[in-house]
Amino acid sequence: MADHKNSKRGHVDSFIVRSLLWVDDRSKVDKFFWGIVVVGVLLTLLDLFYKKKTYFSTEAFFGFYSFYGFIMCAALVVAARALRVVLMRSEDYYAPTDVESEDHPEFDLNRKEADV
Amino acid sequence: MFEWLHPALVYLVGALLLPLVPNGKARAFLILLVPIVGVIPLLTMPFGEFFQLNLFGETLTTFRLDKLSFVFSLIFSLAALLSLIYAWHVRDTMQQVAALAYAGSAIGAALAGDLITLFVWWEGTAIASVFLIWARRTEGSYHTGMRYLIIQIASGVVLLAGAAIHYRETGSLAFEAFSLDGVGAWFILLSFGIKCAFPLLHNWLQDSYPAATVTGTVILSAFTTKLAVYALARGFAGTDFLIPIGATMTLFPIFFAVIENDLRRVLTYSLNNQLGFMVVGIGVGSELAINGTAAHAFSHILYKALLFMSVGAVLHRTGTAKGSELGGLYKTMPWTMVFCVIGAASISAFPLFSGFISKSMILSAAAKDGHYITWLILLFASAGVFHHSGIKIPYFAFFAHDSGKRPAEAPWNMLLAMGLTAFLCIAIGVWPNALYSILPYDVKYNPYTSTHVITQFQLLFFSAIAFGTLMRTGIYPPELKSINLDTDWTYRKIIPAVIKFVVMFVSAVWSELVRGAANSVSAIQNTLASFYGPEGRVARVQPTGYMVLWLAILLGAALLVNLVELP
Repeated sequence: MADHKNSKRGHVDSFIVRSLLWVDDRSKVDKFFWGIVVVGVLLTLLDLFYKKKTYFSTEAFFGFYSFYGFIMCAALVVAARALRVVLMRSEDYYAPTDVESEDHPEFDLNRKEADV
Repeated sequence: MFEWLHPALVYLVGALLLPLVPNGKARAFLILLVPIVGVIPLLTMPFGEFFQLNLFGETLTTFRLDKLSFVFSLIFSLAALLSLIYAWHVRDTMQQVAALAYAGSAIGAALAGDLITLFVWWEGTAIASVFLIWARRTEGSYHTGMRYLIIQIASGVVLLAGAAIHYRETGSLAFEAFSLDGVGAWFILLSFGIKCAFPLLHNWLQDSYPAATVTGTVILSAFTTKLAVYALARGFAGTDFLIPIGATMTLFPIFFAVIENDLRRVLTYSLNNQLGFMVVGIGVGSELAINGTAAHAFSHILYKALLFMSVGAVLHRTGTAKGSELGGLYKTMPWTMVFCVIGAASISAFPLFSGFISKSMILSAAAKDGHYITWLILLFASAGVFHHSGIKIPYFAFFAHDSGKRPAEAPWNMLLAMGLTAFLCIAIGVWPNALYSILPYDVKYNPYTSTHVITQFQLLFFSAIAFGTLMRTGIYPPELKSINLDTDWTYRKIIPAVIKFVVMFVSAVWSELVRGAANSVSAIQNTLASFYGPEGRVARVQPTGYMVLWLAILLGAALLVNLVELP
C-alpha cells in the first residue's frame, strides 16, 4: 500500500483529490453554490416547455417541485433545530449503559495515517 | 438437481463448520463460499413448495419459492455476499458465526411457508444478530445488546402468540394474506410492526445498530427490517391503515437525522424513513405498489449497505463516525468518498441511480390511488432524505471543515465491497428492467418519463439550494457532540425512574406499616403484661382462703337459687 502513490490507482486517487481541492476555497464554493442555483432556476423554467403529466392539480403549478423542495427543506431544518432545544443531551447522558460516550474499541479498528 | 439443498441450511452448516477451519484466509474463503452456494437452489429451483415436514399432524413448508420470496431471498443472499467481502479482514469467530447464522435465518424466514417455520427463523435472526452488537465487547454494547434482544425476542413471542390464536381461529398455520377479523392476525401484525420499526416501536433500531462493530452494522442493516417488510407485504398487503403508519415513518426520522451527530445513527434514521416508503407501498397494495415495495427493498438494501460501508470505513480508519470530529477526509480517502456519494445519490433517488427507479413506483402508486396527503408527505420525505443522507453524510465526513485527520484509504476488501455495491446501485438505476423482471407482478412502468426526471431534479436541486442557503446563513444546526432523546428515553429513563419511585414509595409505606404494627403489638404486649406479667394483678399471690371464700359464696348462691321457687 505504501507505494500506491506511484501505481495506477495512485494517479486516479490524486486526480480525484486534485479535482476537488476547490472545496477549500471559499470563493470557489460560492461560485459552485450559485452555479447550483442557476441550474435550479433553469430546471424550474423547463416547466414552461413541456407538458407535465400530473396526478394532482397542485403538481401542475409552475415550479411546484422546486418551491416545495426548498420550503419544506428549510422548514425541516428550522424545526429540527428547534427540536434540539428540547431533545439534546450530553453524550454521557445514558452512560454507562450506552456506547455513545465510549471510544470505539481498538481491536475493531485499523487506524492508519495516509502517506502524504 | 439441487433439491436437497436448502439455502438457509447452507448458512447454518457453514456457521457450524467455521470454527473447525483455521482462522485465516482459508476460513475467510469458506465464509464467502456460503452465500455463493446458498444462492444456487434459489436460482435453479422452480417455483413451488419444498422441504415439507410433519409436526403433530400439521404440514410445515420450510422452503416456499414464489416471486415475492424469490426477490427477498435473492437480495438477502447478495447482501450477505457483499457484506462478507466487506468483513473479509474480521478474524473474530463470534462475528463470523453470527453473520452467517443471521443471514441464513433471514433467508430461511423469507422462504418460510407457515407461521411456525417463520417463528423459528424470526427468533433466529434476533439471537444471531445480537452477537454482532456484543462483539464490540464494551459495557455499553452489552447493555445495548440486551435492550435489542429483549425487543426482538418480544416480537417473536408476540408472533408465536398470534400464530397460536390464529390457528385456533382459522385452523390454518399457512403464512399467507391475513384478514384482520381475527385477534391472531392483530398479534402477527404487531410482531411484524416491531421488527419493521413502526412509529413508537422504532427506537431499538437507532439504539442498537450504531453500537455494533464496523462490519456488524453493515450486516445488521440488510436483514431484520427488510424481513419485516417482506412479511408485511405477504401478510397485510392492501391494509389501509398501513398508509398513514408508513407516511409517519417517512416523516419523523428525518428531523432526528438532521440533528444527530453520529453518522451511523443518522443512517439508521434514514433507514427508518426508507422503511416508511415500503410500508406505504404495502398499505396501498396495488400491483404497482407491491412491485414498488419489493423493488425499493432491493435497491434500498444495496445503497444503505453502501452508505454504512463508507461510514464504517471512515470509522475503521479514524476511530470515530461522529460528524463533529470528521471533515476533509476526501483528500486521503477519495475512493471511499466517491462510493459514499454514489450511495447518497442512490438513496436520494437521483435519476440513473437505484433509488430513483424504485421509489418513484411507490410515489406513483400512492398518487394513482389518490392519496394526496400521503403523496405530499412522501415528497417532503424524499427531499428530506437528500438533505440529511444525500448531502449531510458525505458533507460532514469528507468535506465541511478540515478536521486535520489524514486517514489512509480503506483496506482493499472494503473498497472491493463498496465498489461492487456502488456498481449495482448504478446498474439498477441505468438498467431498471433487470430488476423489474423479477418483481412479483408484471411491470408496466417507466420511471424515465420527462415529467419524472425533471420534477425529481427540481426537487433535489432546490433541496440542495436550501441546504446551501442554510449553511451560508449559519442557520443549519452545527454538528455537536451530543445525543438526542427519542422514545427509548421512556424505557431508559422514565420507566426506571417510575419504578424507582414506586419501589421507594412502597418500601416507605411498608416500613411505616411494619413499624406501626410493631408499635401496636408491643402496646398490646405491655397492656397484657401489666395484667399477667410478673408484676401484674393476675400474677399477684392469692392465699387459698380466697378460693374457699369464693367457693362458699358460689355454693350459697346455688342454694339460694334452689330455695327461691319461681311462680
